[in-house]
Amino acid sequence: MKFPRTTRHACALLAALCLAALSSSAAQTPAISQSAGGAKQSRPAPKTYPPNLVQQGSALFRQDCSFCHGRDAGGGESGPDLTRSKLVAADVDGNNIGPVVRNGRPDKGMPPFDRSDQQIASLVAFIHTQQNNALASAAGRRGNGGRRGVDASDLQTGNAAAGEQYFEGAGGCAACHSPSGDLAGVASRYNGLELEQQMLYPRHARPKVSVTLASGETVTGILGYLDEFTVGLIDSTDTYRSWRISDVQYKIDPALNAHIEQLPKYTDADIHNLMAYLQKLR
Amino acid sequence: MKLAGQTSLIAVIAVFAFASTSILLAQGPDEQTLLHPPADAWPGYHGDYSGRRHSSLDQITPKNVGTLGLAWAFQTNQNAPIKSSPLLVDGILYFTVPDHVWAVDARSGHMIWHYNQPTREGEHIGNRGVAAYKGYLFFSAPDAHLVSLNAKDGSVRWKVEVADVTKGYWTSMAPLVVGNHVLVGVSGDFDNLSGYIRAIDPETGETQWQWNSTPPAGTPNQTTGGMTWMTGTYDPDLNLVYWGTGNPTPVLNGSTRPGDDLYTCSIVALNPDTGKLAWAFQVSPHDTHDWDAVETPVQVDGDFHGEPKKMLMQTSRNGYYFVLDRTNGKNLLTAPFGPVNWTLGIDQQGRPIPNPAKEPAPDGRIIAPDEGGMTNYRSPSFDTKNGLFIVDAHPSWSLYFAKPADGVYGWAGADYNVWGKGVIEAIDYQTGKIRWSHEIGPESGAGVLTTDSGLTFTGDGRGNFLALDSSDGKTLWHAGSGSNIVSSPITYQLDGRQYVITSSGGVLFAWALPQAQ
Repeated sequence: MKFPRTTRHACALLAALCLAALSSSAAQTPAISQSAGGAKQSRPAPKTYPPNLVQQGSALFRQDCSFCHGRDAGGGESGPDLTRSKLVAADVDGNNIGPVVRNGRPDKGMPPFDRSDQQIASLVAFIHTQQNNALASAAGRRGNGGRRGVDASDLQTGNAAAGEQYFEGAGGCAACHSPSGDLAGVASRYNGLELEQQMLYPRHARPKVSVTLASGETVTGILGYLDEFTVGLIDSTDTYRSWRISDVQYKIDPALNAHIEQLPKYTDADIHNLMAYLQKLR
Repeated sequence: MKLAGQTSLIAVIAVFAFASTSILLAQGPDEQTLLHPPADAWPGYHGDYSGRRHSSLDQITPKNVGTLGLAWAFQTNQNAPIKSSPLLVDGILYFTVPDHVWAVDARSGHMIWHYNQPTREGEHIGNRGVAAYKGYLFFSAPDAHLVSLNAKDGSVRWKVEVADVTKGYWTSMAPLVVGNHVLVGVSGDFDNLSGYIRAIDPETGETQWQWNSTPPAGTPNQTTGGMTWMTGTYDPDLNLVYWGTGNPTPVLNGSTRPGDDLYTCSIVALNPDTGKLAWAFQVSPHDTHDWDAVETPVQVDGDFHGEPKKMLMQTSRNGYYFVLDRTNGKNLLTAPFGPVNWTLGIDQQGRPIPNPAKEPAPDGRIIAPDEGGMTNYRSPSFDTKNGLFIVDAHPSWSLYFAKPADGVYGWAGADYNVWGKGVIEAIDYQTGKIRWSHEIGPESGAGVLTTDSGLTFTGDGRGNFLALDSSDGKTLWHAGSGSNIVSSPITYQLDGRQYVITSSGGVLFAWALPQAQ
């Protein structure tokens, strides 16, 4: 079964689009840089919260949040580890956390929660307390049954020379990427697990799309929406436009396909070697 | 809970008495209805006991489905998405979200009563629906209690503890009524706890028996886990219930639980009167990837390569499609239905052999499928007309990590999705080969329903409800629903009109062919 009136690339790339919507474990960006040497970060003394507020937040968190984010906020079945969340780290008294709880993140599968100011305050107190505990001691993130994290120091087992060879050769990476071009400084932009996830599949990338209307006019832009009935794009004026697929022809840039096609071909060593190589591109 | 209006309730009951004389007034479903549901009933989670989610109804056909329209919609006005499969009993639909049960007129969609009993303990991640028996409903509450309600008004008959919520259990599944037993399962993933199935007396709430899937926590070198998240199926002729069990714990680190970890990630056959194990088949020995084997064990009677067989089929979260002989649990077929890279092959019993090199590791392992699995809670359907096992699949890749510092309690590691997509796959039941596949964009939580007229109802990853041609997977009808779909469709016929019920977000939708006003 194929989608009507689409190119083969479009079919395969519909899948590529899934990413943004599906990435329930996206944005797993370490807020804590725990180097192997265990260098202490300079950071102001963390705010402390009244124990009864934390306790209340803990109970509410367990009810509403723990399945996805773990009972200790360290990550669960599908949600990210909040103790490593940049959003949490930058939050002041719920200014970041509150809106996310109230509005959800529909694109990532997180539903909104209709909670009172006082309940949000308790969640904020609990989440910050968990992050403080994680910062204070690695042991603070253990022993409570939740998902554990990955540190950049865990991802140093590869061989950079072998990675470079794979990049230039069997991996086919060099067909689209260049260490002195688009990937120059990539290891400064991404770190640890996030770099590895980006390397395997750039989940936030939006491919280019061109849509040919019945009139013969062609509109190009960044893919904004796709299902088997509707195609939408953001054009050069940042305007969203959409069409019924039955009325147009469209073609999606197939570049991202190479990442999907590579997934079955990687050995674990290939991935670790590539990581070693990319981490040198600072 | 409250009555929406006494007059409307009486009116509903009056309509019914004429419509189905074979059913006692609002006292359904009885055992015969559960065994042989008529066209105007969907009395259990899977409809009938087979788990096929296939209907003989044929008013809506491939030719006319394009005109399918909205008969009514019901809004829960709750944030929690509807994950339950509604029941239809005596003209009334019953469905749930955590802490809530609604009774809704199946003809009009208006509310008859609403039970809402907030609980403060237990994960409120979702609820799969109620079970019904002789005018009673049975509801799994998040605080690991089974609540029995009177179907007429939603009043509470009794509430009994099924598991200790303070230890980390909760309940979310739709119970299964078999004879004089209400069978319930338990949920939990973040603690090293034993899963079990419990039989409860529908009249008194007393426990009749309990079958434990794993030894008690703390038993040296033994696993815990094997949660019983989902509703099993029942074969009245063999008098066996079939149930899937969940993953072992600790989840991603298998070092403290060497060996196969029985009976986790297994399909088990139990005598419903005694709880005695008749046989077990383990679909994932020594799982370290969180691949519960709780997907519906679907019963099919028919030809298997020239021999008549009583079969049991499962598309499992671990990426393999299994066909078993359900009289004895012997394997007939094991075949992947998407990319899998975690095995060394298939053993003589038909079980995948886990590759130790693909266990989670400190520097990560690339694994297909991802933790959510090639499929999950959403129901598949067996299309008896075309001999197709149709499943909402999720080809996917992920990274799995575990290191000594992650400990040996609960999750004990971490995993991250890399890439995945959603595909409705129609599997030839005798070979495991994909007859057709239909891409649906991102992963979808929509289950599958098939009908004798040749239709497959499901949904895509963008919130579109879909009707496909069961013979080739082509789209015949769709409707955008405005939210994610995380439930499985049902169908029934009332007053000569066939309805298909779907849900997304907090809205239940009833679809039917147009009729004169």
